[in-house]
Order: sequence, then structure tokens, then C-alpha cells
Amino acid sequence: MATEESAGVMDDYEMLISTTDVELLKRAWRNEKAAPEILQYESSLVQRIKEQIELAEQNEEIFEANNIDPLTVSLYQMDLDRTQFLLRSYLRVRLQKVVSSGACCAVLFFGGYVEFDLLVGFGMQIEKYLFYVLKTDEYLNRLSKQEQMFARRCTDDLGSHLDETVLAKLPDNYRSILKQSITSEEDDMGCTLESLFHEIAEALNSPHKFLIRTSLVPAPRLDTFVICKAKQYLTGLDFEPEYSMEITEMERDLLTFVCYKFVKKPLENGKIDLV
Amino acid sequence: MAGQTDSTMTLFSSEEIEFMAEDEMAEIVPNLRMDSLNFICGDYGPFLPQLAAQVPLWLALALKKRGKCTIRLPQWMSVENLTRVLEAERDSHAFQPLPFHYVEISRLLFDHAREDIPDMYMVRSLIEDIRDVRFHKVETNLEKFTASTVTWKNMSAMEVNVIRAFAGRALQAFYKHDNEQETPDTDRTPNKQPQIPTDRPKRNLKPR
Amino acid sequence: MYARKGYELVKDLANGEKGQLQPFNEDLFNQVVDQCTQHYLELQALIRKMQEESVDVRETRNADHYGALIHHLSLIRNKRCLMAYVYNRAEVIQNFAWKVGLELLELPEEIQEKLSPSEKNYFGKHSSALQSYMAEVGIDLNVDMVPPKDPYIKVRVLDDMGEGILLSDKTANLARHSMHFLKRTDAEQYIARGLMEELTG
Repeated sequence: MATEESAGVMDDYEMLISTTDVELLKRAWRNEKAAPEILQYESSLVQRIKEQIELAEQNEEIFEANNIDPLTVSLYQMDLDRTQFLLRSYLRVRLQKVVSSGACCAVLFFGGYVEFDLLVGFGMQIEKYLFYVLKTDEYLNRLSKQEQMFARRCTDDLGSHLDETVLAKLPDNYRSILKQSITSEEDDMGCTLESLFHEIAEALNSPHKFLIRTSLVPAPRLDTFVICKAKQYLTGLDFEPEYSMEITEMERDLLTFVCYKFVKKPLENGKIDLV
Repeated sequence: MAGQTDSTMTLFSSEEIEFMAEDEMAEIVPNLRMDSLNFICGDYGPFLPQLAAQVPLWLALALKKRGKCTIRLPQWMSVENLTRVLEAERDSHAFQPLPFHYVEISRLLFDHAREDIPDMYMVRSLIEDIRDVRFHKVETNLEKFTASTVTWKNMSAMEVNVIRAFAGRALQAFYKHDNEQETPDTDRTPNKQPQIPTDRPKRNLKPR
Repeated sequence: MYARKGYELVKDLANGEKGQLQPFNEDLFNQVVDQCTQHYLELQALIRKMQEESVDVRETRNADHYGALIHHLSLIRNKRCLMAYVYNRAEVIQNFAWKVGLELLELPEEIQEKLSPSEKNYFGKHSSALQSYMAEVGIDLNVDMVPPKDPYIKVRVLDDMGEGILLSDKTANLARHSMHFLKRTDAEQYIARGLMEELTG
């Protein structure tokens, strides 16, 4: 059908329209929906879109006052509806991620204690856990100020809910991780237990850290598969060196099913889109 | 399961795919005079009777529903082209080039612009046939998964979405499996064209 | 078998339909909590016994040591099950705020009945966190859950509905078999009652 040349022209044309903020927002929305982790908040884009929405709302009033024909008014209304849907959906997807996966980093940051994932092997999870502790700041910086506040509240609320429902009903030494070391100072029994824990840990060798810190949080699953499309030809240099065995190039416009972490870098650099 | 975000939440619903398809451009011939529309999503018009104009599909459909224009059938939707595409789909393992949203665009036009499509029934049945052939191809392709990265040329939005959940999980399993079995990965070759596996041990998925 | 009850609790969770909530299984939940207490008592008893026998708790690897170890691990296993149960339910409850409504009273009776008091409290707090966020950004996120469609649709009247019917933007004469271009929101109630049908094409 389309020859190489005309495809090129079409792409240039697409590039041209992709400069509208709506197009950028749609891209952000699509990527956010398809990515397993929370992406950088598009702060200035959201701001610009909000301003354009306000302007359109003002125009609507002007139309009404000036008796502009209902057809035109309804078309503008549809344009406004579409943009508002995109913006709301974008913010919503992010919030849902903040609550479920993104927030887990905040959970750690604010000293929460969420433990679950009991069907997954302990040892493996702990590595992930430590890894994400290190990366906590990076994750928090991806959130808008309001999202950060929301994450904080979610964490506190969930924390106290778990506290009230489960932890408070457990024997002292098992209520929380932080407490374990505190009681050991004051309580003989605790002290004995504490040393027992260490003994157990050494005896069992590997789940050592698990026993000391029973708290686990879900890490975003970066090995989730995503479908992406490169906007330009990508070479090995566009990917993280550590995945050089996995992925060496990506053809433009070719749909690729790929492990998310392989393409995280070009996604952040705006060289690919998730679909 | 625990530790995983709700996957249904992150996928695109069919309404959302349709929403994206409505942003594709369409050519209309208006029958009214109307000033430029300065939308948030871009500027369109001015519109003059009998003068063709390019607008997003949603706008084309809105005008059409209000009897203000006819929609020109996209070139790829001609009986001639679709017949050729169908033949090529049948003859080749590859997917033929069609718009990413061909399923949604054609459905929207069938639903709302029937009288603007000459040979409507022919066009519709051709598209249905093409769709079936392509879906079958997707299925056969899935059986041939052998790598941690798979590329597909010209796959459409609906096809991608339908197989996303399945393929994603299958690939995840492969990836995990690979990493457990083949460490260190010294003999691993990068997968440029993974749909034609040649140099790796076969681990084909059994059909069904 | 130790930790069997905890397993049952999680199974209870897994058996439910995704996104749906079973009633909070207080009975089983409390049994698991009791088991935790029981394990702890036995653990303490064993360590006390070792201390009374003047064996070095840190160094000794006798039957009592391994007994204590088993109680400790069973307790932790149970704790994980309890946490998983509550946490996974909390995830479903979070979603109610999107899918059902932001106020506890908006939740249908049959959902409210399934929540424990602490869960109701949690729902309230979570909703108010959401509301503060929306107030902060100045955007209501609880509308527009699905992509917008043309606000107007074409309909055909199926049954004589009379003249001068008041709609949100006009009055209309809705005679049988007549066709109209109405606001979707106006038409939906009539379509639902079988008085109109939507036309495509």
C-alpha cells in the first residue's frame, strides 16, 4: 500500500500534529496505562492542558452569550469532553498506581509496614525490596506534590488499618518490625527472643533478613511485558548496557512485545511509545 | 495475585481503543459553510460546501450524524484494495499494512456513515474476512513463541489488545524460564527476528 | 497442622471473584489470631524451659530449640496470612471509591455488610484522601470514567409519547415512528423503558 516515501511523509505529518498538547497528553496517558511502574509526572503539560480547558470553558460561556449556533457549540463541547476525559483518566491511572504499586516505595519511605505476597519465594523478594529502598527517592520525585501527599495519606491509612486489624492483636514481639529491637532493650523475654531470631536466622542461612525485617512491600514488576513502537530506529546505545544481550536494536514503527525493563530507558527518553 | 497491580486496569478497554481511533484523520465533504474550529486538539476548517476537508474521525462522524457532510471512504477501504489485502493476507505469513485502527475505523463508518460506503456489504464482509485471517495468524504466531522479545509488523490495535494479556504472560514465563535455565547467558544470541527461530533450542508452545 | 487456618483464610480470599468481596470472615480470622497467641505461649514456655534447665539459649540445638523455631515460623506464617487477607481486601475496598462512590452511605447495603468496622473506617479515610487530592488539583476525577461519546444520538420513537414533551434543551413532539436527534442523557430513560430505540447508520 503505502510506499516507503509516502510513509515518511505521513510520519512527518504525524510528528507535526503530535506537537499539540492533546497529542502529548494522549501519549503520556497511553504510556502510563501500559507501563508497570509509575512514570514521571508531566507537570508542565498538565498545567498547559488545564489552562486550555479553562479557556475552552470560558469560550463556551461567550458562545452562549453571543447566540452562536448550537452545532458549533456542541462540536466545541465534544472537543472539551475529549480533552477532559484524557486529563482525568491520566491523573486517575496515576493515582491508582500510587495506591497499588507506586506507593509501595512511599510506604517504605514513611516507615510503613505492609506485608503480603505470601505465595512468592521469600529470598527473591528481599533482594527486590532492598533494591527499591535504594530507589525510593527516585520514585517519589516522579510524583506531583499532590500525589506525594496522597501517597502519604494512603500509606498512613493503610498502615493504621493493618495495625488495628492485625498487628495489635498479635503478641508484642510480632507487632511490628521496629518494635522488636526496642522491646529487646527493656524486656528480658524480648532479649532472649531477639537472640533466638538471630540464631534462627543463622541456622537457616538465607531468609536472614526476612526474619529481621518481616516487612515486605510489592515492588513494581519491571519484568512485565509491554508492547511498544519505536519512533525512530534504535541502536544498542539507546538501551541500558546491562540488557545488551537481550535487545540490540529496534526498527521504527515495528510493534515489539518486550520486557518492560529492556525499554525503560528509551521510553523515558521519549524514543518509543507504549501501545 | 498479590504483588501484581490489577492488570485489567492498565489495559485499554474497547471504548478506549475506539476513542483513540476517533482521532485518526478522515476526509469529509461538508454541505455547509462554517468558520474555523479552534479546538484544544487542533484547528480545523474553515468549511465550505463541496470543498473536501481533513478532520479527525470523531468530528467527521458528528457532522455526518447531523447531516452536515458526507465522509469519503478511505482509500484502503475500497473493495479493490481490500480484495488485494485479503489475498495477500492469505498467501503470506506476514501482516499486510492496514491502519493501526482499521477494525475500529471501519466499524465506526459502518455504524454511522453507511450511505457513504458504496458496496457496503462487500466492504464489510471483506474486512471481516481479513480480520479472521489475521486473528488466525496471531494464534499460529503465538504457538511459535520462542524468544523473550517478539516483533510483529503491521499488527492492529484490536489484535494487539486481544492477545496482549495472553502473550504478555506467556513471554514473561519464557523470560523467567530462560533466565533460570541459561545462566550464564554466554551462548545467547540477540533476537533480531524472533519469529523465525533458527539458532536456539526449540521450546515451542503446544497448541492449546 | 500448624498454620493451616491461615492458609484457609487466604484460600477464602482467593476463592472469591476478582474485585468482589466476601463477608469479612471474622470467625476464621480470630481463630488465626488465637493460634498466633498460642504459638507465642508455647514458644515462651520452651525458652523458659531451656532457661530453667540452664542451657544456653543462644548456642543449644536441642529438641526445645527446634520446637521454639517451629512455633516462631508458624506464627510468622500466620501473620503473613492475616496481613495478606486484610491487605488484599483493602485493595478491593480502595476500588469501591472509584466504582461505587466516595461516601460510605453510597455503598449498597450488601457491600457494607461485608466490611468489618475497621474496613469501613478505612474506606472513609481513603475516600477523604481522594477527595482532598481532587480538591488540591481542582479536578473531579470521579466523572468521565469512560471515553466520551457524541452527546446527541438519533432515536426512533416506538410508542406514541405525546406532544410538547419537555427535554433538557427543547420540547419535542414524540409521535410514534418519528425520528429525533436528542441528547443522550434525555433519551436514555426512554430507551430503557422501551419507548425509543437508538438508530445507527
